[in-house]
Amino acid sequence: MEALNALIAGFGVALKPINLMWGFIGVTLGTFVGVLPGVGPALTVAMLLPLTVKLDPTGALIMFAGIYYGAMFGGSTTTILLNTPGESGSIATAFEGNRMARAGRAGPALATSAIGSFVAGTAATILLTLLAPVVVDLALKFGPAEYFALMVFAFITVAAVLGNSTVRGLTSLFLGLFLGLIGIDSQTGQARFAFGVPELLDGVDVVVLAVGLFAVGEALYAAAHQSRVRETIEKVRGSLLMSARDWSRSWPAWLRATAIGFPFGTIPAGGSEIPTFLSYATEKKLTKYPEEFGKGAIEGVAGPEAANNAAATGVLVPLLTLGIPTSATAAILLGAFQNYGLQPGPLLFDSQKELVWGLIASLYVGNVMLLILNLPLIGIWVKVLEIPKDLLYAGILVFATLGAYSLHQSWVDLVTLYVFGLLGFAMRRWDIPVGPAVIGLILGPLAETQFRRALSISQGDASVFLTQPISATLLAITALLLLAPWLVRRFRPKSS
Amino acid sequence: MPRSRAEIALSLGVVALGIGVAAVTATLPAEGGYARIGPNVIPAVVGAGIIVLGLWLSYEAFSGGWRKRAESHEAFAADPFLWVSAGLFAHMALIGWAGFVIAGTALFALVCRGFGSRRWARNLAIGLVLSLAIFLFFVKLLNVNLPAGWLTPLLGSAGI
Repeated sequence: MEALNALIAGFGVALKPINLMWGFIGVTLGTFVGVLPGVGPALTVAMLLPLTVKLDPTGALIMFAGIYYGAMFGGSTTTILLNTPGESGSIATAFEGNRMARAGRAGPALATSAIGSFVAGTAATILLTLLAPVVVDLALKFGPAEYFALMVFAFITVAAVLGNSTVRGLTSLFLGLFLGLIGIDSQTGQARFAFGVPELLDGVDVVVLAVGLFAVGEALYAAAHQSRVRETIEKVRGSLLMSARDWSRSWPAWLRATAIGFPFGTIPAGGSEIPTFLSYATEKKLTKYPEEFGKGAIEGVAGPEAANNAAATGVLVPLLTLGIPTSATAAILLGAFQNYGLQPGPLLFDSQKELVWGLIASLYVGNVMLLILNLPLIGIWVKVLEIPKDLLYAGILVFATLGAYSLHQSWVDLVTLYVFGLLGFAMRRWDIPVGPAVIGLILGPLAETQFRRALSISQGDASVFLTQPISATLLAITALLLLAPWLVRRFRPKSS
Repeated sequence: MPRSRAEIALSLGVVALGIGVAAVTATLPAEGGYARIGPNVIPAVVGAGIIVLGLWLSYEAFSGGWRKRAESHEAFAADPFLWVSAGLFAHMALIGWAGFVIAGTALFALVCRGFGSRRWARNLAIGLVLSLAIFLFFVKLLNVNLPAGWLTPLLGSAGI
């Protein structure tokens, strides 16, 4: 059991007091921003990236993982009490969760979501521990052609298959790919799209793009579209404890959801939207109390919440073992690794054993911390929900500009930040997803490098992508995914 | 319909961006060295992709509007948008000479105004305390460089 030994060594790293502290800061901060409507883990990690460059990478990455996890826990609180899902993975929770809260059962709803997140998060981390070494062994056999095919596959699923519109998803992706081209070409030293501006030679920083799109764009959008409707925060009345019946209805849902969520996280299927809806549908179908669905059925909270966390953990499998991010947050976590000169992938498991396994071990620790942080301290998080909008967005923008400015202490970054803010506003208003742009910016340059490496090995023979079996299969699946909706429409027998 | 006019403008903007990318790509060298493909190949693919996507968006915009768009129910209000923008511009202008704390305070108060709050004294005070706390935390504890600006006599020059 090599993985077990590595994990035990990882616990040695994760349980060091200093790393426990970073983990605790991470999960607390994560829960905090998860509760805040309009702030997600992607934005938080992006804002903190430039501020943490002087920290030890292990501690900083443990903190970022804590933020990633914590935001998932905190997001459920907002969804249940406020009925405004902060991220797509929480939409399914809102169906039953908010109904339960309105019916005065906010306590058990929060409990099943927190305990379910803990159970699913821990189970998924065990799966990650077991699966990661297997994928690493497989990945070591990958050459540049396979990597390139895998990245193309990730691009297409994230941009074209998910979301409302293939063309808008792809537009967002290509925008990110274009932004990724700006700067010095890593292979030849040629400056591209820099127009002689020295600040552009370094390329577009993911921090400025992500913070601009998520924070500035979101603030501009929220300011310009203020709702007249007062949102009501449901009160947490009565006990947080779940009854025996709540427990017996939640358990199977948590476990089923883990089985649904984790695999969906590991494949590039864009995170947690699909598995949470699948889990909701499954629970609705299997429940013994169908009459309660739509009125606050506890399975309908337990399942999607657990699926959300399991998927979030699953996303770490391709991120850590292959260096391929499949969600915007994962792309920014990849940016965090790159900030420290680290490239996630099979080699990282060899060269940075302590860091990788310390990080995985910290996920177990973080899950325990989050359970403690979220249930007994729920009162504090409800208070956070009550922060008025004006102070909330003003605070977000102070942090957003701080993150962008501290990159180079230059106002040029602030101008760029505002430009990306306008872009984020337009994308939000005209329903163009922003995630693919962030993934394109981070993954685009890596894909280009692999593409050129593959062709340099094959001496310029482009058929290399189609003659290698793994790469050919991946590209075939990609093409199928892209064409499937069109083919279905074209050849479906016409019905009224 | 005003909305579809915006969609048409955005779609054509995407086409224009693609043409721009293609035009710049044409000026890039094709020399590839060992890699055999030069620094202009992927830009050409990206440029072509953007043009195609722009044309596709234009087609949708002209034939009944972009498909499956999530509708926004609230009307666009220009004033709050401009207040928030003003906050960001004030911050850009101030941070270099007035320093982080003052720029942050101005940004905070102007964004609050954008979200409808007219309690200037309260917002300036909260903004000042928040910016000062951030400044002290990051500069003294995490060694991040932030300009102290006008407040250098009070905060010391540690920020630069």
